[in-house]
Amino acid sequence: MNAIGRTAVAVLRNGWGILLLIIVWQAWVTAMNFNAIVMPRPLGVLQDLIGFPEVYWKNAVYTIGAAVIGLVLGMALGTGLAILAWLSDVLEGMLTPLTVLFSSVPVVTIIPIVARLLGYDFSTVLAIVVIICFFPAFVFTTSGLKALPAGADDLFRVLGARTPARLLRLALPAAVPNWSVALRVAAGHAVLGAMIAEYLMGTAGLGYLFAETKSDFNMERAFGATAVAMVVSILFFAAALAVERRVKERWN
Amino acid sequence: MTAAIHVDRARKTFDLGKGKSVEALAGVSLEVRPGEFVAIIGPSGCGKSTILRLIGSLEEPTAGTVTIDGRPPRELAGAHRLGVAFQDHALLPWLSVWQNVTLPLQVAGVKPDDAKIAALIRLVGLEGFEKARPRQLSGGMRQRAAIARALVLGPEVLLLDEPFAALDAVTRRYMNIELQRIWTESRITTLLVTHGVDEALFLADRIVVMSGRPGRIIENLDIDFPRPRMPALMRTPAFHALYDHLADLLEPAAAENEPVAGGGES
Repeated sequence: MNAIGRTAVAVLRNGWGILLLIIVWQAWVTAMNFNAIVMPRPLGVLQDLIGFPEVYWKNAVYTIGAAVIGLVLGMALGTGLAILAWLSDVLEGMLTPLTVLFSSVPVVTIIPIVARLLGYDFSTVLAIVVIICFFPAFVFTTSGLKALPAGADDLFRVLGARTPARLLRLALPAAVPNWSVALRVAAGHAVLGAMIAEYLMGTAGLGYLFAETKSDFNMERAFGATAVAMVVSILFFAAALAVERRVKERWN
Repeated sequence: MTAAIHVDRARKTFDLGKGKSVEALAGVSLEVRPGEFVAIIGPSGCGKSTILRLIGSLEEPTAGTVTIDGRPPRELAGAHRLGVAFQDHALLPWLSVWQNVTLPLQVAGVKPDDAKIAALIRLVGLEGFEKARPRQLSGGMRQRAAIARALVLGPEVLLLDEPFAALDAVTRRYMNIELQRIWTESRITTLLVTHGVDEALFLADRIVVMSGRPGRIIENLDIDFPRPRMPALMRTPAFHALYDHLADLLEPAAAENEPVAGGGES
């Protein structure tokens, strides 16, 4: 069997459920003769995806940009605050309840407030992604900084390690596995957060494309936007999962 | 170069909360001369590890004093002059053997001397495993790496807290022979906490026997077997006589806790 054949078999083995779903969907819509406004056909969606690639990739780039930049900033902010909390008990006492409070507010209700503050543009979408990604980064890193190998804390004390050495050589490396879990969680949230923000108040992006086309009853494009968003989400998740696997391998 | 340890009427009580407390050490005094190898044996919970933790600056005595060369242990730790190996090897899983051994130097801000590290790794018999990670090593090899790490700073005091307790009997005996060889080359003031009577007899210049609840010293025994000591020493009548004497001292506490114990080490 050649390489293409093997790939096809692999795709079929792992993706036959999805494929079956799409075939049943196509058959069902065709049999019931639904209007595309009620339920678009998968082939119709595919046609739109192939016919107007520019619409999709431009909005996808916008969403991916917001998700990636927001993910990086959110992870950095969460990690940075977790380190501050590690350094100071006073700060920890202040930061932990604040972040819990912040995270328990549904993000959808924050979006209009952020939009008022930052304007109805990219910066609001970005801010939402940062807020969403910040929380797992903070929580997982905070616990990771304390998840030290058995005896390591005693060892560092006997070695006369000062705070910078304890942070850089013990606590931070020890936190990496937890941090990679945070990255996986946040990566999934990042795309979702960007799309919700775009959907509610955006002017571009896959979420905006969905909201716009849906209100125009252009359901094939709305579903196309959803399909692209799914692919983007899966890619984010898979990338973060790959990072986590590599970390686990090394950290055991 | 190598330091003397003075423990003077050290008491240690641990607060258990709700107004309860437990007395781990009841006024223990202990002198360790420079270059001496002292083993502390005793039943579980007799406070032998607590003494080690006091000397290692990991605990403060509730009363009494602990000094190394007349100064508090904290100062020696702060000056990176203590070496330590615990029962759990405490190797960092994300570092290789080489990096783990070098770690104390980096913590101390000293530039590692590659030739010296290589020699130390050779000394503990881990040549060829420099790049291995702890999880790829056997239990005995991990403890060797931990001992190399304890020696890398050229410490003035070496503290060993049951470093071979998690090993099987054969590996443990082998590690004892190795430890003697390593110690003979460095002659650092060493305090070994163990519950293995044979281990203590084979390695130490002096054995301190403790009894528990609250922890106190009940015997202070000089061991003058000539060095280097060979494994054959463990089969001599003199060794057995001392072994029986020490085992008898440990007996009452063991009998209290485990009335059906077969007399062997567990």
